[in-house]
Amino acid sequence: MKTIKGVKISSGVVSGPIFYFERGKLTVPKHFIREEDFDSELERFNTAIRKSKNELTQVRDLVHNHLDEDHARIIEAQLLAVQDEEMITAVRELMVRERKNVTWAYFDVMDDYEKLLLKTLSQFFKERTVDLKDIKKRVIYHLSHEKDVIQPEILKPSIIVAEKMSPSDLMHIDHKLTLGIITRYGGVDSHAGILARAFRVPYISNINRIQEIVSYSEIILDADNETILLDITDDIKASYESRIQDFRSHRDNIISDKVANSTKDGVPYHIFLNAGFVDEVKAMDPALIQGIGLFRTEFLCIERNSIPDESDQFQAYKAVLEKMNDLPVVFRVYDFGRDKLLAMLDLEILQEDHIFDEWGGIGFLLDNPEILKAQLRAILRASAYGNTQIMLPLVMFVEEVVRTKEILEAIKSELKREGLAFAENIELGAMIETSSVLEELDELAKHVDFFSIGTNDLALYLLGSGRMTDLTKNYYHPKIFRAIDKVIKAGNKAGIPVDVCGEMASDPYALIGLTAIGIRSISVSSSALAAVSDEVSKIDVQQCSILVDSILSADDTFTIYSQLKKFYHEQLE
Amino acid sequence: MVRKEIKILNKYGLHTRPATALVTLVSKFKSDVFLEYKGVKINAKSILGLLVLAVEPGANLIVEANGVDEQEVVDDLDRLAQQKFNLE
Repeated sequence: MKTIKGVKISSGVVSGPIFYFERGKLTVPKHFIREEDFDSELERFNTAIRKSKNELTQVRDLVHNHLDEDHARIIEAQLLAVQDEEMITAVRELMVRERKNVTWAYFDVMDDYEKLLLKTLSQFFKERTVDLKDIKKRVIYHLSHEKDVIQPEILKPSIIVAEKMSPSDLMHIDHKLTLGIITRYGGVDSHAGILARAFRVPYISNINRIQEIVSYSEIILDADNETILLDITDDIKASYESRIQDFRSHRDNIISDKVANSTKDGVPYHIFLNAGFVDEVKAMDPALIQGIGLFRTEFLCIERNSIPDESDQFQAYKAVLEKMNDLPVVFRVYDFGRDKLLAMLDLEILQEDHIFDEWGGIGFLLDNPEILKAQLRAILRASAYGNTQIMLPLVMFVEEVVRTKEILEAIKSELKREGLAFAENIELGAMIETSSVLEELDELAKHVDFFSIGTNDLALYLLGSGRMTDLTKNYYHPKIFRAIDKVIKAGNKAGIPVDVCGEMASDPYALIGLTAIGIRSISVSSSALAAVSDEVSKIDVQQCSILVDSILSADDTFTIYSQLKKFYHEQLE
Repeated sequence: MVRKEIKILNKYGLHTRPATALVTLVSKFKSDVFLEYKGVKINAKSILGLLVLAVEPGANLIVEANGVDEQEVVDDLDRLAQQKFNLE
C-alpha cells in the first residue's frame, strides 16, 4: 500500500473517488437561443458587465489606496477590458450570427483574445499581461448567477484534488458532493482552511505528488493522521470502515441536544457558535444553542468576490438575527487586511505576488471609513430585529475603539434623522489578538463591554514565525496561556466578560487549560459544538483548577500539553 | 479627419500599463480613434485590441481620429507617447 503524508488543514476521515479540480476551468453552458430571447440575453450580459465594472472599480480603489499604483494599473486594465466595446460588439455579432447563448458567445470571444494575447507574451515576457481568466470568471459568475451552473461539475461524491483552492473556489463547489480536499498549496490559517472546517470537509495540504494521486480511482483521506492512502485493498478499507462511518455521522449531525450551560460541578458556562454564512445559521435550531459568539461578516464578501452594499448586508444580518430569536449574535466587522482582502477578491494576478502583512482588522476599516460606515449602518439597522452585539477585530490601540465609537454615534444620529429603527444599547467588544493591545488592556476595558480572545491571530502575533505549521500545537505554548491569563485578570478587574472565540477552545486538551485559568465562555464552530458541549458537562472546575499554577509557570509547550492530556484522560474519559 | 504618426518609446513597447494609459486617454474624447500598426487597424478605445496588436518598442503608429475633438485627441496622444505614458 502506498501512503503520502501531508499537513492537516481540517480533520476527518473519508474514502472515495477523485475529482481533479482545475482552477479557472469553467464549464460553459452551451445552447442556441431563439430570436425572441435575444434581447433578454443581451440584457443579462449588460447587467453582468455593469456589476463586474462596479466591483472592479471598488477593487481598483482599494488596491490604489492600500497596495500601490502599479497594481492599481493592472486592475485598471481589467476594468477597461471588462467593458471593451469591441469585445461587446463581437459577442453581440456572434449571438446574432450563430444564435449562441450569451455565456457561450462571451466565452468564445474571450478565448480568441486569450489565444491572440498568448502570442504576444514572448515579447512582453518581463511584464504581466492582463489576466483574462480573472475577468472571464467575474463576468461569467454574474451571467450564471441564477441561470446556469458554471462550477466544475462534480457528478458524484468525490475527494477534490487541486494545486490550490481559493476561498471562492471552495465557496462555489457543491459541498454535498465534496467528500474531502487535497491540495499542493494552502495553509492552516488560510481562509480556505476556515471554510473547510466550517463545512466539515477533511482537508490535507502540502502534497507535492498531486498528479500521482489523480491516477488512482479510489483513495482514503485520513486527515486526522495527515495521511493519504493510495491503492487501497479491501482489507484496508474494512479496517477504516468504522472510523469513516463515525466521521460521516459526526458530519451530518449538527447538534441534537441542547448545548451544556454549566460544568459537572454546576459552574455556569457559555458555549456559543462561530458562523459565517446565513445558510449555516438557518440550519441551526435556536432552541438548542445559546447564541452566536462570532459571526464572520467577511464571509459575505468571499461569497460574492466583492464587498456587498449596505442593503445586501442588512438583509443578511437581519436574517441571522430573526433566525436566532433574540439570542445574542456578535457581528465581527470585516476582518481583512491586504492579504486576506486579495484572497477574498480572488484576483489571481495579485496573489502571485505573495504579499503578506499584519495590518488589517479595525485598523484597515478605519482607513477605509466608507466600508466601515456602510457595514455599521447595516448592522445597526438589523439590530431592530434581534439581540445584536458588535465586535472589532485585531484591535491594536485604544484609539481605534474610540474612533469607531464616534462613528457609531454619528450613524445613530443619522438613522434617527432618517427615521430608521435600531437598538439603542448595543454592546461593543474588542478582540484581543495582538501583542500591542495586551499592553493597554486596562485602558481598553474602559471603552468596551467585553473582550474576546482570537487565539489563531494571537499565536501569530506572539509566536510569529516560530509557530508550528500544525496550529493546534501552538495552543499549548506557555506564552499563549499567560497572555490569556492576563486578559482574564484585566477583564475581572474592570468587571467585563472575557471569552475565547478562536479555535483553541475546540481542542479537547486546550479547553481544560482555558477552563482551569478561568475562561467560562467560548465560541466554537458548528462542527465542534457537540463535542465541546459534552466535554464541558464533564469538566469539574474545582478539580481542574489545581492545574493553574503549573500551566502558568511552565517553560515549554510539551509540559503543558502532557499535563492537560493526562488530566483529560484521567478525569474525563 | 486627422492623421499623425507617433513613436512608442517605452522599453517594452505598448504592454499592459502604457496601453491602459493610452485607452484611458482616448476614451475621454468623443471622436472615433484608430491605431494602425503593421497594416492592422484597431479601435484605440479597445484595450483588448491594443494588447493583441503587440506594439513593439520603437514602433511607429498611425493615429487617425474622426470627430469634434479629433485634433485635440491626436495632439494629446502624441504628447503622452513622447512622455512614455508617464511610466518610465
